[in-house]
This record gives sequence, C-alpha cells and structure tokens, in this order.
Amino acid sequence: MTTTSAGPRRALVVRSVVVPVVLVAALLLLGHTLSITNVLTLEEVLGLAVFAAATNLLLGYGGLVSFGQAAFYGSGAYLVGLSWLHHWMPFWAAFVLTPVAGGVIALAMGAIALRTRRLYFALLTLAFSELFFQLVNVRYDFTKGATGIFSVSMIPASLASPRTGYYFTAGVACVSLLILWKVTVSPFGLVLRATRENRERAEALGVSVYRHQLLAFVISGAFCSLAGALFVVWGQSTYPDLLNWTTSGQPLFMAVIGGMFAFLGPAVGALLYQFGYQYVTQHSHDWQLILGAALLLVVLFRPDGLAGVVSRQTWARLSRFARRAGRRGLPPEREPAAMETPIDGAGEAARVPGSPTP
Amino acid sequence: MSGPLLELRDVSRRFGAFVAVDGVDLDVAAGSIHAVIGPNGAGKSTLFRLITGILRPSEGSIRFSGEDITGRRTHAIARRGLGQSFQITSLFPRLTALENVQAAIVTRRRRASDFATWFHWSTGSEALDLLNRVGLTGGAATPAQALSHGDQRALEVAVALATRPRMLLLDEPTAGMSPFETERMVELVGRIRSEEELTVLFSEHDMDVVFGISDRVTVMAEGRVIADGPAQQVRDDEAVMAVYLGSDE
Ligand SMILES: Nc1ncnc2c1ncn2[C@@H]1O[C@H](COP(=O)(O)OP(=O)(O)OP(=O)(O)O)[C@@H](O)[C@H]1O
Ligand SMILES: [Mg+2]
Repeated sequence: MTTTSAGPRRALVVRSVVVPVVLVAALLLLGHTLSITNVLTLEEVLGLAVFAAATNLLLGYGGLVSFGQAAFYGSGAYLVGLSWLHHWMPFWAAFVLTPVAGGVIALAMGAIALRTRRLYFALLTLAFSELFFQLVNVRYDFTKGATGIFSVSMIPASLASPRTGYYFTAGVACVSLLILWKVTVSPFGLVLRATRENRERAEALGVSVYRHQLLAFVISGAFCSLAGALFVVWGQSTYPDLLNWTTSGQPLFMAVIGGMFAFLGPAVGALLYQFGYQYVTQHSHDWQLILGAALLLVVLFRPDGLAGVVSRQTWARLSRFARRAGRRGLPPEREPAAMETPIDGAGEAARVPGSPTP
Repeated sequence: MSGPLLELRDVSRRFGAFVAVDGVDLDVAAGSIHAVIGPNGAGKSTLFRLITGILRPSEGSIRFSGEDITGRRTHAIARRGLGQSFQITSLFPRLTALENVQAAIVTRRRRASDFATWFHWSTGSEALDLLNRVGLTGGAATPAQALSHGDQRALEVAVALATRPRMLLLDEPTAGMSPFETERMVELVGRIRSEEELTVLFSEHDMDVVFGISDRVTVMAEGRVIADGPAQQVRDDEAVMAVYLGSDE
C-alpha cells in the first residue's frame, strides 16, 4: 500500500513544486524580455488572474454564481484610492488592509446572500454590488463620483516604473495564487466541492453547508479586493465602473473560457481575455461580439473550458504513451493503471475532466 | 443496552391535507437490524426524512440516544451519529469514489476548515480501507457517476460508514440491484453489524432480504404502523399478509 501510494503523491508534490517554480521563472524572464507595452498588459493580466481565480473558488469549486464580485474588486481599489485622496494612511498600509476589508464586506454580504439559492443568490450579490456602485457615484465630495480618482502619485514612486510595478504585481499574484491553490486542495476545498456536487448529501454527512460557503465567500472576497488594489498599481486610478456589474462579469468570463474545473484555468482565461482584447480592438470594434461568441461556443461545446481540452488531450497522450511503453515490456503489473490503486489525492492520478483538481 | 437508541413518539407529517406519516411510534433497539416495510407510498422514505431532519415533523417527538432531536437541522443530527444512505442514490457525482469517502471522513473529524491539514491526503488510507471493506478498491479513482449502480450503492454505504455513525439509516439499499448485487449488499450489512456493533434501520421491498437479516420488522401502510414485532412474528401476521396480497407486491 505504501508503494502504490508513493506514485500519485510524488506526482502531486512534484507538481506543487514544479508548477510554481516554472511559473515564477517564466514571469521573471518575461519581465526582462517583453516590451514595456506587453509587460504592462501582462501586469494587468496577473491582477485579473487573481481576480478570476478567487472568483472561481466560488464558481468552479463551490458551484456558486456570484454577480457581485465587483463589490470586492472595486472596494479594494477604492480603499487605496480614498486613502490617498483623504490622507488616511500610506499606500502600503492601505494595500495590506485591502484583503481584510474585502473579507469583512464579503462576510456581511455572504451572511445574507448565502441564505438564498441559485438565482436569488446571484441577484442578491448583484444588488449588493450595485449598491456600492451607486453610493460611490453619488457621493461626489467624498469619492469624486463618476470622475473617479486619477493620479500617478497614488502609488509609491518605486512602483510607478512599469517594470518594478510588474515585478511587484507578479510577486503578489504568485503568492495569492499559491494560497488559493492550497485552499482548494485542503480538506476545506474537498468539502466545498462536495457541497457543490450534492448539497443535501453533504448536509447528511454533517457538513454545515452555509458555513463552508460563507468561508469560501470571505476568502474569495479578500483576494478579489487584493486584486482591486493591484489594479490601482497598474492603472493608478480608481473609478465607479470597477464596482459595476460588468466588472463582476469579467472574472466569470475568464473562468469559463479558461476552464473553471482546473485551478489555473481562470488565470489562463485572464491571459486569453486580455491579449485577445488587445488584439481584437486593434483590428475591429467588435470585441463584445467576439467575446460573446467565444463564450457561447465554450459553454455549448466545452463546458470545462480550455483547461479541460488541454488536460483531456494530455491525459489521452499519456495513457497512449503508457500503453506503448507497456507493450515494450514493462512488468505486467505496472501496465494497466486500473490495478495500481492511487491512494490519497487519487483525483490527481486520474484527472477526470469535470472534476476540479489543482 | 438500556432503552431504545431511536425513539419516535406519535410522529406525523402532513403535506397540505395529505397525511404521509400518521402518528407513528417506533423504537429501534441499540445493536439491532430493524426493517421498515410497506407498500409503495406507505410513508417509509418520508419517515426516514423526518428522522434525519430533512423534513420537520408536523407533530410528535424524535429522540436519538436519549436526546430530543425533533426539528434539528440535518447536519446537527448527523453529527450525533446518525448516518444515512438515500433511496435514490445520493453521492458526489463528479468526485472520485475515494474523494466521496474522504469528504465524509474530513467532516467527521471536523477538520474541514483546519488549514493546517493542508491536503486531504491524511484521510487517504482510512478512505481506501473503507472502500476495501465494501469491495470497491478497484474503483477508488473513478468518479462516482461512472460507477455501476451496485458499486454506487456500495459506495453510499462506505460514505455513510465513514461518518462512524452509531446508527445507519438505509432507504432501500438494494433498490434496482441485480440478485448478485443484492446478495453482496446483504452480506455487507450483516458484516458491518457484527464488526461495528452498529444499529441499522432500513426500508426494503425484497422480503427475502428483510426476513434474511432483520431482528425486528415494522410494517407501515398509508402512513400508519400496522404491525411491529420480531421478524418471525411479523412474517406470520395475517394483517401484514393482507396488505401485501392486496397491493400486488
Ligand atoms: N414532499 C412531498 N409533498 C407531497 N407529498 C409527498 C411528499 N413526499 C412524499 N409525499 C407523499 O407521501 C406518500 C409517502 O411517500 P414515501 O416516499 O414516504 O413512500 P415510501 O413508503 O417510501 O414509498 P416507496 O416504497 O415507493 O419508496 C406518497 O403518497 C407521496 O406521494
Ligand atoms: Mg421510499
């Protein structure tokens, strides 16, 4: 039993080390080599990747469609912006506080919205975020209303240069993604997926579904808010649209396109979305149209998104390879995967499309 | 073993004007295998849903190991040691068989929000052990939805056992099973009882199963208990025979 368990476990350990290392190395390298324009786009992508991955904790793992993610994202941005405007506190203090603020807002919002299900939950979250949007819009003296807050001096001079801003964002994004990933592979993540799959069964096991969903909501809110602060680092501005429902739609688009059943799917979605946007808007004005069409195609034909396609193909290729290797004379008991019982994190070994595995 | 483990007094449940469960008294002795039988629509599943808190009784009280659990929430009742499987297979379809069991173990240990246990790995060997016991070792990495019907039912039992219940509630554990699968389930339930000193309350239409393993049998019809007693005695009861002959079962 110990020998059989070693394989998949080692695979997961390898993956949990190799993937982050490769990712960090790639981001560092890109920071050096890319043009300033592309570095800036990538910086934006990284912030959005955190936004999308945090949203996907609800969508992909919890099965909760929240249309109120902008409330957290915008709050994060506004906390930094208002702190600068009203001299509340230095940038760094505000920045560190954003996840706390996002978590608190999520706690209040979730405590109410999670008492309802599906459509009503979605509508309540939408209503909450529109409330924020309206508040910011009307209180001109306090928030600068529809104009928003724009200034390069909102962020420290050290972050104002594109490449340092990029490295900072990359660092924060990587740490955030790592934490979110840990959450998804923790016992909490497993139970959260279970509540998504079958709420009644989970309750019969003794799970307090409400409490689990609320915790997921708070974690998601905290990181969405942090992503909002990263937006300020990138854009040196904050404006009401960050709180609007169109902003709530973005991470959902990204998660669906990239694949909500794979941890990095939403991050890939953010990359596609942003570079796609850049490319398309250079050539036509039909970004929304193309986005809509892409989304439709994904939902109709590949509900597990791009990551689903990739992992399915990778899996097929791997098993083909294994079969060929088997024919070449491996000991027979190692040939069919069926007998090797992957213990612990067995989901890792048999990646099934449709089940979110990190 | 003093007093019944589960005690229902005058429990009723109405849906509008329709009385699905009507003044039911039921005592389930600790360590026994207790069957609830009755024709379709007799109210067996409704009764089980009342016990597990999925439904609230309109009237009456339910006590589990001496404690009043009437109207408590499902998860609170489950934590007191009442495990269940449903008449209609109820699993986490896209999670693997192993993960289904792991989710139950994690919940039992109440460590779901304990992020110090970073991975749910720590539950792997216990989960695999449970799968072994219900004869599912080979399917550990298969998503529950891809298992055969018989295997899914076996997995349900493994999931229910993973909560280490004191009492197991099985609503028609052999529904839709082949004779072979049924035999396997019967053998499993018998083995569980002897290994775990577990109390089992189950509903069943297959009379061979019922009288093969039960100590005590309660017969329901139209929401009421019409007979209750040791299996042997109920089998020879004429009123029971009449119900079954009358309802083409
Ligand atoms: N939620 C509900 N609303 C209205 N009527 C219900 C509801 N649930 C059950 N009933 C009715 O209560 C009666 C008892 O149903 P129940 O499912 O408990 O029977 P059962 O003994 O389990 O039958 P079976 O052997 O077919 O499983 C049925 O007539 C059913 O239509
Ligand atoms: Mg029933």
